[in-house]
Amino acid sequence: MSSISVVVLLLIVLQWAGRGLPSSVRPICDPRVLDRFIMEARDTETALRGCKAGCGVTGTFVVPLTNVDFVVWEKKDTGLQALEVQSGLSLFGQALGAVRESVSRAAVQILIDNNKSNIHSLGQVLRSLHIQDLSLPPAPAVGDSVTRKVSSLSELLRVHTNFLRGKVRLLLTNAPACQQNST
Amino acid sequence: MQCLRPLRHSGWDESKRPHAYHGTLLLAIQIAQVELKNMGKASIVHGAQALETKVALLLHVEPENPKCFAEGMWDLTCFWEEDEKRAGSADQYSFIYTYQNENSSECAVTALPAAGGKRLYFCRFSQTQLFVPLDIRVFQDGLLIHNRSLFVELVFLLDPPANLTVTSTGKQGQLKASWLPPSLKYMSDSMMYEVSYAMAGSHIGKVEEVQASSELILRGLQSGTKYKVRIRVKLDGISYSGYWSAWTDPVLMETMPGDLDPLIVSLSLIIALVLTLLSLIVLMSHSRFLLKNIWPIIPTPESKFQGLFTVYGGDFQEWLGHSTGGLWLRPAYFYSEEFPAPLEVLSEVSLGPALPPKASEALGEKGEEEEDEDKKLKRVDSALMEGWRETPQEHWLMDQLRAFHQHPAPRSQSSLLESHDAYVTLNAQNHSGEEPLDDILEETLPLQVLFASGRASSESRSDLGSLQQSSGSGRLSSQSSFEYPNHTWPPKGPGYTYMAVADSGVSMDYSPMSSSKIDDIGKGVIYTNEYKNEIPAHRRPIGTPIHFAF
Repeated sequence: MSSISVVVLLLIVLQWAGRGLPSSVRPICDPRVLDRFIMEARDTETALRGCKAGCGVTGTFVVPLTNVDFVVWEKKDTGLQALEVQSGLSLFGQALGAVRESVSRAAVQILIDNNKSNIHSLGQVLRSLHIQDLSLPPAPAVGDSVTRKVSSLSELLRVHTNFLRGKVRLLLTNAPACQQNST
Repeated sequence: MQCLRPLRHSGWDESKRPHAYHGTLLLAIQIAQVELKNMGKASIVHGAQALETKVALLLHVEPENPKCFAEGMWDLTCFWEEDEKRAGSADQYSFIYTYQNENSSECAVTALPAAGGKRLYFCRFSQTQLFVPLDIRVFQDGLLIHNRSLFVELVFLLDPPANLTVTSTGKQGQLKASWLPPSLKYMSDSMMYEVSYAMAGSHIGKVEEVQASSELILRGLQSGTKYKVRIRVKLDGISYSGYWSAWTDPVLMETMPGDLDPLIVSLSLIIALVLTLLSLIVLMSHSRFLLKNIWPIIPTPESKFQGLFTVYGGDFQEWLGHSTGGLWLRPAYFYSEEFPAPLEVLSEVSLGPALPPKASEALGEKGEEEEDEDKKLKRVDSALMEGWRETPQEHWLMDQLRAFHQHPAPRSQSSLLESHDAYVTLNAQNHSGEEPLDDILEETLPLQVLFASGRASSESRSDLGSLQQSSGSGRLSSQSSFEYPNHTWPPKGPGYTYMAVADSGVSMDYSPMSSSKIDDIGKGVIYTNEYKNEIPAHRRPIGTPIHFAF
């Protein structure tokens, strides 16, 4: 009995410690990682632009706003920036998941799956930069001012690309964890 | 989304430089005013020159209207060109731009005269938003003349890099170009540079691209030549994109003067070394030949005269006096002459008392010895057998003389020597069918064969066999002439063939003699060489002459 209790105590301690400790993953500061994701998103967008009737995808999707005003952006706190990015990524994840289910062609499915995995990887990258992952549900309530609705697959993919190129990239390149390494 | 593909500037032709606008100063002031109004920042750094070049650039590369470019993160400049006849004042135009999901905004239009009777209308606005589509509409007197949708982050047209410096790296054929990247935040790692370098005075240059760097080493250049280097910048196109910037002013730099290429120097040294080694080897292998020609050896006769120089110091007389020298000479003396034959053919008549002193002595020395004719003849045999030697010959002669002494024979007028004559005759039992011995006899045949007795064979006539036969058929009867000092050969009869054998040591001469001839010969002294023969068991009464000679 005493041994079991010791083990349980040990597990609790470890979990608590593990939760508090930052991830031991080295920060991923290479911009080429995100560049690859951006290029793949752009390729998907280009490939499915000629899709007739939206590739059979119907419905509306909630997407984040992609516009960046530098003046405004710079004034924002890094945490808020991170929040914007992570909420937007989660929205895209959800939208792409919905698209995946309604798409029948295998080629389209492969592309969508690829983008979905990229979004997951981006979450890992953000975590490596010690940016807390707030994209996990329950997602904090984001106002409508930062989202909008799209109704076609091509629009969704275009917004997705713009989001990656803009806010996500800005956040990653200016992450504090990477500032010591960069010149 | 429009895909802007900036065209590349090729070549170094300066002819397409934009013309000098006489209103450039005015434009610069206007731009400065606009900037100050909109942004509140002092951006008078933008010289009119830079603007002109950019405008000229875009006029070449951008087909769409209005042509817009962003110089940084905070503003966008758009312009369009209009013909003189269609152009109006700036007030006639309205520039409306709308971001996605936002309200429209208007931009103030300014006009500038351009070359060729055209006019340029500019609109510049700040607080741009990136990563969102931007709609631009241009109206002239309420009519839409231009419509365009673009992304601001995709129309960057940067200033050329500043502070381009070209230095020598310290190595041959290399130059290092370094520059200052445009100071744009968030975009320094997205910048792409193109370095163009050419020899001064040449229009053909090479181009090298480099990403996100601020220096480049140019390799493969010629030594000791002047190069002009220039650079331009562009965003790489992944996140941000744009047009190639204008070229910087060329910077001249001379490469290091051409040293002796270390490779060539080392190669030539190696070749020289190899050639030297080869020549040395050749010299060594032909050293003897060369030494002979250059330093010939003086021949000395030392090898022939042992000890002449070493022991006697060149004194020939002394050297001769010692035996080692004498012996040396003898063989030469020996070989110079032919081997003296112990017996020689002499044809002399009546020596008389002229007996060789030796022989007379010998006769006197030896005591009485009873010797058969056989023994004598056998001695002859043995002497013959052994060869022509002086000493046995002498012994035999002496014996013969002694024998003569012992058997006092009636002396005739002929000398003792005469009485020594011996003749050999071949007796043929059956003298019928006897063939002349001439045919059979050959010089090289041993006499033993010739005079083989008691052999009656009827063999065919081979060389030796014939002789045998012929000789076998007959009997040898030889008698010493000692027994018949009177030199009267009792003729044996017509059946007997007499043969005179004359041997000079080299050849033997057999000549048949007739009895009459014998008589004649008997009168003289004939000296012939010995030859061996077998003596028949019994003596024939008929004397057999034996010729012998010294």
